[in-house]
Amino acid sequence: MTSVTARSSTSGAAAKTAGGSTRLRPWRNPWRHPWLLEGFTWLYLLWSLAPIAIAVLFSFNSGKSQASYQGLSWRWYWGDPVNSVFHNPQLQSSVFTTLKLSAYTTLIAVPIGVAFALGINRWRSKTAASFNFVMILSFVVPELIFGVAMFFVFTKLFTGIQLGLLAEILGLVTWNVSWPAIIVQARLVGIGRHYEEAAADLGATQWQTMRRVMMPLLWPAIFASAILVFSGVIDDFVIVDLLSSNASNTPMSVIIYSTQHGGNGGPALNALATVMLVMSFVVAILGFLGYRFMTRGQRIDGQQALATIAGAEN
Amino acid sequence: MPGGRIELVSLTKRFAEVAVDDIDLQIASGEFFSLLGPSGCGKTTTLRLIAGFEQPTAGKILLDGTDVSAVPPHKRNVNTVFQSYALFPFLNVFDNVAFGLRSRKLPSSELSSRVCSALDLVKLKSFEKRRPGQLSGGQQQRVALARALVLQPSVLLLDEPLGALDAKLRRSLKVELKALQEQVGITFLYVTHDQEEALTMSDRLAVMRDGKIVQIGSPTEVYEEPSDTYVADFLGVSNLMEVDITERGPGGQCQAKLGDCVLTVDHGGQEAPDRSHAVIRPERVKIEEFGSTGPNRVPAMVERLVYLGSSTQVFLRLAAGTDLQAVLQNDGSQTAWSQGTPVHAFLAPDALRVLAGGGEVAEQGDDLPIDIAAPGALQAG
Repeated sequence: MTSVTARSSTSGAAAKTAGGSTRLRPWRNPWRHPWLLEGFTWLYLLWSLAPIAIAVLFSFNSGKSQASYQGLSWRWYWGDPVNSVFHNPQLQSSVFTTLKLSAYTTLIAVPIGVAFALGINRWRSKTAASFNFVMILSFVVPELIFGVAMFFVFTKLFTGIQLGLLAEILGLVTWNVSWPAIIVQARLVGIGRHYEEAAADLGATQWQTMRRVMMPLLWPAIFASAILVFSGVIDDFVIVDLLSSNASNTPMSVIIYSTQHGGNGGPALNALATVMLVMSFVVAILGFLGYRFMTRGQRIDGQQALATIAGAEN
Repeated sequence: MPGGRIELVSLTKRFAEVAVDDIDLQIASGEFFSLLGPSGCGKTTTLRLIAGFEQPTAGKILLDGTDVSAVPPHKRNVNTVFQSYALFPFLNVFDNVAFGLRSRKLPSSELSSRVCSALDLVKLKSFEKRRPGQLSGGQQQRVALARALVLQPSVLLLDEPLGALDAKLRRSLKVELKALQEQVGITFLYVTHDQEEALTMSDRLAVMRDGKIVQIGSPTEVYEEPSDTYVADFLGVSNLMEVDITERGPGGQCQAKLGDCVLTVDHGGQEAPDRSHAVIRPERVKIEEFGSTGPNRVPAMVERLVYLGSSTQVFLRLAAGTDLQAVLQNDGSQTAWSQGTPVHAFLAPDALRVLAGGGEVAEQGDDLPIDIAAPGALQAG
């Protein structure tokens, strides 16, 4: 009891001297609250999110203007019998085109990318290393250059495939295959050879090892890369703009751009953009929850899951 | 289950350099055999060759008389406990242990009864629903053991299985592991760099260096009769003194000159070259008052005392310039020597051995962290 009292009184005295005699000026005080940084962060959030919020708000405008707000309605989503996203055939088909492109690209690019990652991980040579470099290169090459190159491929080289859905899918798959290839490879390196050796040691054939050990270990990475590919295709503009041919295979991003740029914008476009935004959000949330579910019990917290799903995109 | 005889015939594995160099070794059925050596000596590569994770460059691996060098790992009747355990993180304890049985298409009742008895064996029955991530290191290690033993292999390979555990757990698991081996009666091939583990558990052990086996024998043989300075040093006997043999008597006895003193040495006299190393274990060095007379007494100075609880380590500097360690049991009977005291060290003839092989001295981490010979080393740090 006495010792406790003694200790507290000493520390009290110490605190008094520290606070009293050597009070620091606010900008010299290393423990001060970072008001400046915090304020700047808020400012940045406001600056970047406010325009999006306003654009979304105008998608609910009951009037025809993208600039003067006249009250809430679902008019531009489905209320308007001619110009709403739901009733305008061009806008409606663009939503489905985007979904189709995302789904096909994901279904084709992810298995190819995973196979590539597995192959490169086992095949150690100069050739393998240079293939790997090509994969990373596609992160560096400007998308426009790639898109134009693909455009010439389909208009001059392989004219058997004409511009349109198939060309778009081929272009997008080529562009996006790096995601699964790189992410799954990183996961393979992280996993190491132990589990495979353990499985072989316990009598599993190579095929059984792949199915019973490697696939469960790789699922989170495969899933994360699928999410990235899917959401990447929703956002994609350059490749699809160059490789689409008519309204039936033009996705949302291109419609929004060309209509707005052509001066024919209206709240229906805001509605279409909102649909795109929601789609991206849903995919990201599904990705986050799915990744957490798959890696449960493996001591991966939400932060890490988020970093894998979203962080790799930056 | 009988079987589990391993024979290595001029086994060689070359990566960029030679990792395993022309090893010949026979391990009997049901033996607890250890491969002991520092990292990079080829002990783990040897184990991986037997498991089938690596292909030998040359030589043969015979398992119960059959050459298995070309048999893929999943078809060899050996199982491994990995240093990292390699438990499948997405399966619970039960499914981890059942993994090997599931490829064998057993009826489910037999499968679960075998898994349960394996978990009983390692005392983890109540943990079957947990995932590896929810277990402590020691528990994970037991799951790894159960997972390997449930397949009833003829040989169990253990790659530093206690390496990742803390000292106290290691001590108790050592005893359990040995008991387990006696209970299941299969061959254990144990790879370790810890001489204490190898000495406590093994029936026989091999000390390795640079891909070669330096000495094979029972723990007593290897510890008491090290073939060269490398083995002596690696097994924790670091009291090596350079001597000149002046006279050889019958039965290994000889006279060895250490500086100005002549010591009578009881062991190793026949094979040792004229210029060789004499070795004595720290627990056999006796410290006496300075001036005590008699044979085999050398003047020394107490350099440093290290209190270890049950014993005290005394670092001596002999007049001949050699450093010597003594371990005194703290049983109340010893005089408390203080630093800087001149004393006489009594090196009993029957505790001294001259070594046949020279060899280099192994790197050991458990010596004093500072150079005790340098005065003021502590203050300078």
